[in-house]
Amino acid sequence: MGLEVIKKFDDEKNEWIVKPIGEVDIYTSADFKNTLLSLIEEKNTDINIVCTSLDYIDSTGLGVLISVLKQMKESDTTIIITDIKPSIKKLLELTSLDKVFTIKE
Amino acid sequence: MTDNINLTISSTREDIAEYMSVIRLTTSAVSSKIGFDVEEIDDIKVSIGEACTNVIKHGLNDGKGSINIEYTLYDDKITISVKDTGTGFDLSKIKEPKLESNLESLDDSGLGIFIIKSLMDEVEIKSSEESGTEIIMSKIKIV
Repeated sequence: MGLEVIKKFDDEKNEWIVKPIGEVDIYTSADFKNTLLSLIEEKNTDINIVCTSLDYIDSTGLGVLISVLKQMKESDTTIIITDIKPSIKKLLELTSLDKVFTIKE
Repeated sequence: MTDNINLTISSTREDIAEYMSVIRLTTSAVSSKIGFDVEEIDDIKVSIGEACTNVIKHGLNDGKGSINIEYTLYDDKITISVKDTGTGFDLSKIKEPKLESNLESLDDSGLGIFIIKSLMDEVEIKSSEESGTEIIMSKIKIV
C-alpha cells in the first residue's frame, strides 16, 4: 500500500497544502516526517494536511505530527488537519490530540 | 466453535515494517469473518498495528527476528496474540502517555499501548528474558 504525499504551496492562504495518500505507519512515517520538515525549512508557514485519501495513521504517524508541530511552535505556525475519516478522528479524540492540532471539517 | 490462524514473519526490522499493511489486511479479513462491524474492525486493525509496531521498535534483537501473530476465533470474540523473539522488557517501565493540550509537556511515549487498551476489551502483556514479549488482546462482538 505505502504512502504518496502530494504537496503544494497555497499563495492565497499562505500555507502548505499536503495530501497524504495511503497509510502512515512505522514503514512510511520517516519519509512523511522528512517531507513535512523539508516544507517548513523551505517556507515556515502553517501546514494544512488534507486527509481525504489518508486511510490509516498509527502512533508513529501521530508522533511525527507531534514532533513537527513542536518544531513549528517556535515560529508560531501550526498544523491544520482537514477532512479526516471517522476512524482517524476517533484516534485523535482518544489521544486528546484533537485539542493540540487544529481540526477542520 | 474455535478456529486458530497463525501468521509468522521472520525477517529484518525494515522488511517486517514493510509487511505491516499485509498484517492489517489479514487482520481485517479475519475479523470480518466473525461479523464485526466496520468500526470494530478498525479498532482491531489499529490495535494489531500498534502491537506489531511495538515489536518492530523494541522486540527485534540485532535488527532481525520473528513476529508471531495467532488469531483465535470464537463465535462472538476474537483473541489475538502478538509475540516476539526479543529479550523482553520490564513491564513496570511502560509509561503512561502524557496527553494534554499543552504541547510542551505532551509526551507520546507509551501511546501505542494506551491505544490498544482503549480500543480492545481485554489486554494482557507478558514479558520475560527467555520467551520475549507477548501482547494478548481480545475484542467481544456486541450483539
